[in-house]
Amino acid sequence: MRAFAALVATTLRQQLGGRRLLLLLALGLIPAGVLAVLLAQERTAAGAVRAFHQAPLPILFFVVLPVASLVLGAGALGDERRDGTLSFILLRPLPRTMLAAAKLLGAWLAALSVAAIGAAAAGLLLGARFHEWGALGPLLLAVALSSLAYTSVFLTLGYLTARAVLLGLVYVFVWESGMTSAIPSLASVSLMRIGLSAYGRGGIEDLLGVVRPGAGGALAKVAVVAAAAVAAVALLLRRRDVT
Amino acid sequence: MSAVAAPDSPSPAWAPQPTIEVRAVSKWFGQKVAVSDLTCAFGAGVTGLLGPNGAGKTTLLRMLVGLLSPSDGAVAVLGRDPRRNPAVYRSLAMVPEEDAVYGFQTARQFVRYAATLSGVGTGAVQHAIAAVALEDAADRPISGFSKGMRQRAKVAAALVLDTPVLVLDEPLNGTDPVQRAHLIAAFRRLGAEGRTVVVSSHILAEVERMADRVLAMVDGKLAAAGDVAAIRRAMTDIPFRVRLETDDPHRLAAALVGSAAVTSVAVQGRGLTVETADPAGLGRAVAPLARSLGLRLSLFEPEDLSLESVFRYLVRGR
Repeated sequence: MRAFAALVATTLRQQLGGRRLLLLLALGLIPAGVLAVLLAQERTAAGAVRAFHQAPLPILFFVVLPVASLVLGAGALGDERRDGTLSFILLRPLPRTMLAAAKLLGAWLAALSVAAIGAAAAGLLLGARFHEWGALGPLLLAVALSSLAYTSVFLTLGYLTARAVLLGLVYVFVWESGMTSAIPSLASVSLMRIGLSAYGRGGIEDLLGVVRPGAGGALAKVAVVAAAAVAAVALLLRRRDVT
Repeated sequence: MSAVAAPDSPSPAWAPQPTIEVRAVSKWFGQKVAVSDLTCAFGAGVTGLLGPNGAGKTTLLRMLVGLLSPSDGAVAVLGRDPRRNPAVYRSLAMVPEEDAVYGFQTARQFVRYAATLSGVGTGAVQHAIAAVALEDAADRPISGFSKGMRQRAKVAAALVLDTPVLVLDEPLNGTDPVQRAHLIAAFRRLGAEGRTVVVSSHILAEVERMADRVLAMVDGKLAAAGDVAAIRRAMTDIPFRVRLETDDPHRLAAALVGSAAVTSVAVQGRGLTVETADPAGLGRAVAPLARSLGLRLSLFEPEDLSLESVFRYLVRGR
């Protein structure tokens, strides 16, 4: 357990160190900034929530979350491989499944901290100005599930290829933002929509497409994605050469 | 039970009571063969793995510790395949060649992290840091360390585990002479305690100072094995090298070329280097020859039977 905690803590420190954190925090606060501008012209709580759904929410889920999860998820093992420290963690008497789970947890907490600060800032704006506090809890849950789903995929990608960020951006902007929006039947396999479905509030049907809102379904699907990622990464850690 | 069978006949490459066994191991990356059909074993004491850059030393060491899988053959550490049994890392530590350190950690945090991940107590952290003489810098971030200090931090992170088997890939790279002497003494001490210490280097003098036993690799193959003198004895076809100096080395060289005792002659500045299978015969012949040519012979010096001379021969012969 001490080893697991040490791995998670070091991954967090590794991923959130230096200028990267400042850049990601600036990115994370963009939705709140956009919301602040939109709220300046709103007079009612319903209008404020509509404004939030109109632009800040899509920015948060289509841009902030995937980019933060991509950078931090792909880096969790990719940075270890690039920096030569992968051998340091592999030469330990630890089950590979535990290594994979610890790296995923560390990367997820890093991505979540960035995205949650942005989401919380937006939620606090709604609450402070219009006493609309009902959105904050579901929003944070959806952010947590979305970032876990994305981080799971990008952790695996980061270990598979040195071009994970490039491929991840293609995935985010071509698949998630493009194809699953253009072809309704594909929405059900969109990580963004699966996570966002946990938000569960009305007014985002256009964003969700065919995905039904509900925290339970989102939680189950994301758990499957995360478990599959841990299994895949553990298998790769056992099988792949570290050159 | 050992996972790898020992060779049928005793071989100098096969250590008695081995802790690491390598049987018919090959490794190739695409078309490139990095290690070719190599059989050897490592036991208690310090074994030097010697070879020029690109000889396959790092590939072999990474297979020993399970970072690479052999394309063919088998490796066992304490009877177990490290790739299938991460538990073997309770008994095996490695200092990799690459800068496998976290720049944002201090040396003390790094060594403690190694201990924590390996499930050993952190009580030995200070002792490991002291063993590599890094106390003064222990609480500074590794990102500000010189190459030699990073090397020592890596060695400390391996020593803290107190394992019976240590694999060190070029551990003296970047260290200054004082640090080098300190680390060499530490490795020798570990070997004397009965641990298996495998150290690779392409610097011959280092290996001579560290190792009781040497495996020399060239082009992915084992070129020789044994202690330095044994390697030399085993290679009876290696010509001895004698350095001569005279006032006209070209004339003496021309006269020596036809001599039965001489294998080759190379003129270098005021002197010449003669290779011979019969140094005594050369000694008897060269003085009268110089006199007959009217030359003054100012030096007749057999070159040292150093590991370097053996190694140069091994490399040149392939």
